[in-house]
Amino acid sequence: MSNRDAIVVENLTFQYPDTETPVLKNIHFTLKEGEVLGIIGRTGSGKTTLAMCLNRLVPTVIQGNLEGTISVFGQDISQRSVADMADKVGFVFQEPENQLSQMTVEEEIAFGMGNLGISREEMKYRIQETLKQVGLEGFEKRSPLALSGGQQQRLAIASVMAMRPSIMIMDEPTSMLDPRGKNEVYDVLRKIKTYGMTGVIIDHEVERMASYCDKILVLDDGEVIMFGTPKEVFSELTLLHEMEMNAPQVTELADRLRKELQIDVGSPITVEEAVKAFQIVSIK
Amino acid sequence: MNSLYIARESMIHRLDPRTKILFVLFIVISSFLFKDPAMQLILLIGMFPLVLLSKLVKQYLMSMQFLMLFVVLIMTIHGIYNPIGETPVFEIFGGLTFKYESLVYASVMSFRILVIGTAAVIFVMTTHPSDLAIALMKWKVPHSIAFMFLSTFQIIPIIAREAKIVMEAQQARCLDVKANIFERVKHLVPLFAPLFIITFVKVHQLSYVLECRAFSRNGVKTSLRETKISSLDYMFISGMLVLLLTELYLSFAQQISLTTSNLLVSSLFAVWAVFFIVIVKFVYKKVSVFIGG
Repeated sequence: MSNRDAIVVENLTFQYPDTETPVLKNIHFTLKEGEVLGIIGRTGSGKTTLAMCLNRLVPTVIQGNLEGTISVFGQDISQRSVADMADKVGFVFQEPENQLSQMTVEEEIAFGMGNLGISREEMKYRIQETLKQVGLEGFEKRSPLALSGGQQQRLAIASVMAMRPSIMIMDEPTSMLDPRGKNEVYDVLRKIKTYGMTGVIIDHEVERMASYCDKILVLDDGEVIMFGTPKEVFSELTLLHEMEMNAPQVTELADRLRKELQIDVGSPITVEEAVKAFQIVSIK
Repeated sequence: MNSLYIARESMIHRLDPRTKILFVLFIVISSFLFKDPAMQLILLIGMFPLVLLSKLVKQYLMSMQFLMLFVVLIMTIHGIYNPIGETPVFEIFGGLTFKYESLVYASVMSFRILVIGTAAVIFVMTTHPSDLAIALMKWKVPHSIAFMFLSTFQIIPIIAREAKIVMEAQQARCLDVKANIFERVKHLVPLFAPLFIITFVKVHQLSYVLECRAFSRNGVKTSLRETKISSLDYMFISGMLVLLLTELYLSFAQQISLTTSNLLVSSLFAVWAVFFIVIVKFVYKKVSVFIGG
């Protein structure tokens, strides 16, 4: 992992035209290349707006008043357009179906590449590659509408990945899916890091985020409440509960054990960590 | 499949979409050049080999059924009642007479419908929508307009599915969709208002997605599907040119008229016969479903 800064956000404030108060207030954070950032927060806390700021959907397509600077790989992006940013920052949306516009799976993946002017040979190579990465080999000639929700979302991810962005932003990619679809999508998300991409993921599934995010950003009412490693963030249980959010269930359990049964197992954030912590306790 | 395109391995399918656009234009021009029903008929019959070549005879005939309704109505009503008619050619009961001039008028009109319909069906059924979009882009049609063509095919099934969801949701709220026809017309509002809103929201979101896929990016665009003009296209285009010149010569330099009252009457009968077959088939289907169900 290199130490280059992938995303630097400074003093970011954003206000929609028809509102009284800004939706994002004075946001600061830095994400290193190759790290995965998870953004959590209540509905309406500005998670999606923050994510859209990173690829310029806000404020070029969705209008509003933006102050502050965002740099992507050291470059200020304030003069760039979304289409300009598309090969640097990929964006996966919430609804799988709304992201598909072509007649077949392979054309869907080729669409973004076509807009970047990539040659046909390279396209064919990348289609096969990304289909393999998301586990949709053999679906080339299918209509995207004939896929299941999880497959459609993986196809949407594949179409973004084919454009080879260095940063991948996903806005609640699994919230519209059933458990099986969620698993399928998370299997793909887990691999993003191995492809050397930097990720920004918005989701409500704290258990899963605890296991694969390097940094967690807690957003409430447009302000950064916490920013740090999952360990740091999820041990602040009282703060999270104040904002109607939860830590992973194992962390909650460890907390209750400490408070109610005076068993101190630390604050594990994943099942594996919890098992280790319990082993140590039981040996004692 | 979401579009009318039917995949086949045929010569017509392999033609460049631009050639096929030119072909449709050529057919439209030639059908308006001739005011002689016999020539229209020749055009119609002349196009049938193309249908055969594209291996879509069954689908072609199916789609022509709907046009037959218009043709029958035009031929019958114009043939009898059009005031330009003077010379009686054929009398049915009750003193209703088909007149020569009105039959000419009616058959030119109805054959024109069939001729242009045939060309359009050949074009639509053998051209992949993506290829059409690419071909249009090669003609310097703006990317966004070419995309509009394409996404229309894609959005229709989505809207259809949403319509079903809205309908079920409103039914769950006691909207009687099986009421009498007037009640049902009133119920269109609670069905269509949400449907329109949903569609607008979806299209809006799609526009964000497209932007994220570099849709409005300047510079060269490429595509996965390949369309290129081959020697077959050149042959086809030159064939059309020769025919067009011949047609121009025939219609301006030489006032030919192959039409006879016999031809008119027999084509009237033919149209009736075909329509009768269509009706019988339709009734048979309905009845067999009724009996079977």
